[in-house]
Amino acid sequence: MSFSGARRTALGLLLAAVATFWQAQGLPRWGFDGPGTGIFPQVLSGIAIALSALVLLLERRGPQTLESDDNEAVSRYDLAEPAQRRVFHFYLLALVLLVVGTWWLGFIVTVAAVIITIMRFGEGVSWRATLITAFIVAAVGQFGFGWLLQVSLPEGPVDRALLGLMRAAGML
Amino acid sequence: MENLIGGFATVFQPATLAYCFIGVFLGTVVGILPGLGPLTTIALLLPITYKMDVTSAIIMLSGIYYGVAYGGTVTSVLMRIPGEASSVITCLDGYEMARKGRAGAALGIAAFGSFFAGTVGVIAISYLSPPMSRWVLAFGPAEYTMVMLAGLALVTYFSSGSRLKAVLMAVFGLLLSTVGSDPLTGSARLTFGVFHLLGGIDLVPLAIGLFGISEVLSMALTKREKMKVLAPPSSLLGFMPNREEFRRSVAPVMRGTVMGFLIGLIPGGGAVLATFVSYATERKLSKNPQEFGKGAVEGLAGPEAANNAGTAGAFVPLLCMGVPANAVTALLLGAFMIHGVAPGPTIMERQPEIFWGIVASMYVGNVMLLVLNLPMIGLFVRILDVPRAWLASVILMVCLVGVYSTNSASTDVLLAVMFGVVGYILRRYGYDLGIVILAYVLGGIFERSVRRALAISDGDLAIFVSTPLTIAFAVITAILVVIAFIPRRVIGPRTEKQTALDP
Repeated sequence: MSFSGARRTALGLLLAAVATFWQAQGLPRWGFDGPGTGIFPQVLSGIAIALSALVLLLERRGPQTLESDDNEAVSRYDLAEPAQRRVFHFYLLALVLLVVGTWWLGFIVTVAAVIITIMRFGEGVSWRATLITAFIVAAVGQFGFGWLLQVSLPEGPVDRALLGLMRAAGML
Repeated sequence: MENLIGGFATVFQPATLAYCFIGVFLGTVVGILPGLGPLTTIALLLPITYKMDVTSAIIMLSGIYYGVAYGGTVTSVLMRIPGEASSVITCLDGYEMARKGRAGAALGIAAFGSFFAGTVGVIAISYLSPPMSRWVLAFGPAEYTMVMLAGLALVTYFSSGSRLKAVLMAVFGLLLSTVGSDPLTGSARLTFGVFHLLGGIDLVPLAIGLFGISEVLSMALTKREKMKVLAPPSSLLGFMPNREEFRRSVAPVMRGTVMGFLIGLIPGGGAVLATFVSYATERKLSKNPQEFGKGAVEGLAGPEAANNAGTAGAFVPLLCMGVPANAVTALLLGAFMIHGVAPGPTIMERQPEIFWGIVASMYVGNVMLLVLNLPMIGLFVRILDVPRAWLASVILMVCLVGVYSTNSASTDVLLAVMFGVVGYILRRYGYDLGIVILAYVLGGIFERSVRRALAISDGDLAIFVSTPLTIAFAVITAILVVIAFIPRRVIGPRTEKQTALDP
């Protein structure tokens, strides 16, 4: 059985469904007052296993274009030029930085790191334009969302230092 | 009528009016930008509405939804690029009219037709919602279950691509809604030992991941090309159709309005299907069907009206039954829930200011869109010049702010990125992600209804086919599910030919 990307995706869904079914098995199907916690996930994951197995069987083997592929306006990695793929890899790296930065680095550093990765290294925008954009986006985020709209943002050493400075200057 | 006047009083408060304007403005911008749809935008802005009052939040988010229908027309007519799925049909005759030097007339017909249809749609909501709500009040858990099941089946039936994959996505959406605490007993389910999942998967990381982040990844692979834009008129008079064009557009606009609104009421129907049905109808009724695809006024006017009327129609099941008709209204339902409001038959009695405020805002929003659109088309078209690098950076920043602010949890950011990558892969292989969101939002209500019905019947499944209404919905569901398992090539060639209207 050859495994195209489409089949690997269907297999991934099948494995997710099996894992869910396995987790749901430990839940009670029926309680003293009616249907239990497990009835819904058990039935659904059973159906998901059957459907994803069916998709896996029916999915094409080769890499040829299928009608359904073109229905969603998504750009395809396998058809992209090497330069475009390189940009894509930097976008993926930016997503990793987004997660890591949120955990440890705080909002300002994360935004700067993500923007530099995408604009400078991915898209080849000049350092000057990249840094100006990073500054504006970080400032709009920190002051517009964090301060004006009172939205909670990830905090890191730089964010805390900035807030400390603003408090010391009597701005907060 | 008194309630509607009360609704206008709510909308005409300066802050609410400003949110309505922000909504329709953003909707227009998003409609113009190819790729960024209402789903992505509403998902991105959902967390920002946390601090707003519920009426303003829903008014702004609804404004985005119906504003998109207007914005999508601009790029369809001037560039032959649909900014949004519901504008695909407009590309055919709208662009051809523009190529013949009638760009202004095409945009004018589209704008006035959209305004007429949007306004009639809102009037229909005002008059249809109260009796419908009274009817829905008599529903028990079994009726609710079957309505939702039929709705999900209809959505999967009308989905793009493989119906089998659409059913699978609906099941996964329902499964995602079961993660976390049981809504009735509070015990933990499907958490895989992850503490953070005890509270369940939030709508915001899921929606932002599936639509916002996956869209950024898709953008990264798009080739950069300078787009060719036909010039819009420089004066307002340039948007006026001539007498012949006006005469030819009247009947299609009327038909498109009625058809669009009715199709909008059907789950899964919505604006996209409405435009295709309207186009096919106009071509069938036309004495010169050969003109379609070459700049026929009817081929532009009918679908444009149907598009806006369909958008309005989709609000009726959402507001009266609490059942969204499509993925965008599912996100709006999510926004209601985040603010602790349950739309449904009782909303008109318990929170009339919210219901009538939204309805009144749609009247006002339609006027705003008409005034905003025609004079500012030249400016809106320039949005397309924003480089991808800037757009992607801003979208990711909004994603970060939106996801993190939901629970102040970094785990949510991780979840959103994971959903983003998975979403990109699933979209690549033809899985419709809108259905995941719809099923996820419906999941909680659906499960409660199923379990309550089973508790009443002591586990007897016959309760789901115990009344004429439940039987009717069960039959619809069964037929649609059976069709889902028949390969599209067996039953679909005729439909595909009809929808492949590109000349």
